[in-house]
Amino acid sequence: MGRILPLLLALTAAAQTPTAKIVSAANAFLSTLDAKQRQAVTFSFDDEAQRKRWSNLPVAMVPRAGLKLGDLNASQRTAALALVSASLSARGYEKVQQIVEADEVLKNNGGRNTAGGPPPGGGRGGPPGGGRGGPPGGGRGGPGGGAMFGKDLYFISILGTPSEKTPWMLQFGGHHLALNVTIDGARGILTPSLIGAQPALYTVAGKTVRPLGAESDKAMALLNALDESQRKQAILGFKVADLVLGPGADGKTIQPEGLRASNMNEKQRTMLLDVVAEWASIVHAEAAAARMTQLKAEIADMWFAWSGPVTVEPGKNITAYYRIQSPHLVIEYAPQPLGGDPGMHVHTMYRDPTNDYGRK
Amino acid sequence: MKRALIAAALLTLVAAPARAHRLDEYLQGTLITIERTRVQLEITLTSGVAVFPAVFAAIDRDGDGVISQAEGRAYADRVLGNIALGIDDEKLSPHFVSAQFPSVAELKEGQGAIRLVFAADVDSGGSERRLTFQNHHEPRISVYQVNALVPRDRDIHIVEQKRNDTQSLYELDYTQPGIRKDVEGMAPAIAGLAAAAYFAVRRRMRAA
Repeated sequence: MGRILPLLLALTAAAQTPTAKIVSAANAFLSTLDAKQRQAVTFSFDDEAQRKRWSNLPVAMVPRAGLKLGDLNASQRTAALALVSASLSARGYEKVQQIVEADEVLKNNGGRNTAGGPPPGGGRGGPPGGGRGGPPGGGRGGPGGGAMFGKDLYFISILGTPSEKTPWMLQFGGHHLALNVTIDGARGILTPSLIGAQPALYTVAGKTVRPLGAESDKAMALLNALDESQRKQAILGFKVADLVLGPGADGKTIQPEGLRASNMNEKQRTMLLDVVAEWASIVHAEAAAARMTQLKAEIADMWFAWSGPVTVEPGKNITAYYRIQSPHLVIEYAPQPLGGDPGMHVHTMYRDPTNDYGRK
Repeated sequence: MKRALIAAALLTLVAAPARAHRLDEYLQGTLITIERTRVQLEITLTSGVAVFPAVFAAIDRDGDGVISQAEGRAYADRVLGNIALGIDDEKLSPHFVSAQFPSVAELKEGQGAIRLVFAADVDSGGSERRLTFQNHHEPRISVYQVNALVPRDRDIHIVEQKRNDTQSLYELDYTQPGIRKDVEGMAPAIAGLAAAAYFAVRRRMRAA
């Protein structure tokens, strides 16, 4: 009997739908909390202010609500991350872990991309009269004395009641990360989400990590796969300094530009979808498959636009901006000059302008 | 009094959603909404930490460290004076619609965004139109972005957007249902015939 029960439990878990697993993980997490913590982590499903309380900025600059990982004990933290993991694919969760780890590296480097690198915010002349620009406080403290960076500074919140039938939402984020996952029955919607990294290339235990490396490499490969005429259409003749549809731009659809996928060959379209999958497949596999089916169906109306340098050093990240857009998709990849090397500080945005927070 | 209340409502000192952390640049992103008889400009201005003193000095004219309603409105007017909007070679006169300013602390940290909305009325025009937009606000420290939103009116189709390298100059070609170009050229002749017919009928009626 002692051996049969765990086996039965394992078989039951394996038979669960992804939504059932996420709901189980949510309830398991909530059961580890005391009443005060439960109150802090839960919000009404239609709490618009909480829905929109996300940013690329550190939490000391833009306060988040919910529960901070650093305020949880070990078992609560494990349960919180198990919930995040259940809602994402294996690669999606790995990406999230690498983004959070990057922020820990940033903290340990005193807000610099590399130990001994340029000062926080430096590299482009610096502010007049001091050279102390960038996120104030470097790695130690932000405005008001709050800590600025590190893996303890990520927040989790739940909007609505975890359910297999009625919609609810999981938010997880902090500096360079804002995951908004709406669970609506079998559907898992990840838009809008902000996925960034600084440093976007770092070393841990001798291993080089690039949280958004595939996003950089695959887009570069696609650009290189285009012929001259296609490149002329894809490469914009002007600089794009930042995300066009970053935080605060919900529900907006800009006119697409660049090269339309209907003017690509089959191999190029496959490469384009492979770039898209880097964002669409962050959510759990079943939801990702449904999303990719939706996006494949509108591939002819998908656009690819590039602005900036058209080459990259091997093993490094591109320093160019790119955008992929179709009727139900906006992806922006925007390297940031803050910190010196734009390839080391990347903001990306993943949207469905017709379906913010799974409203549809 | 009513006008003052409306003005106060339109000029709000609330935090716009926080955006990127910039350093030595003043990011000015413009989103353009095209309608048949109206063009709207939504300009989001995000000041980097290093350029905050210059930006804030231009807003806080009395130097008291606070953005008053009057200062906010005056700054919006200054931005309005630094942009140019035109359609089909005609200069447009956009007017102030609303403004949102973040707290001074947020501006100082390089995280708050100022959001200004301007709009201009346009005549219904022909079927092929060219909108031009120029932003010359704080050129020494600024980076610009400008994009058209997909029109809500499904009959309006954006044909092409052109920009210079810095996106300070922008041209937008679009089509809309209207008088066809070939017919458009005949408009003076048609108007002349209509006027002649009108006076002829009037003369006849008088004579009767």
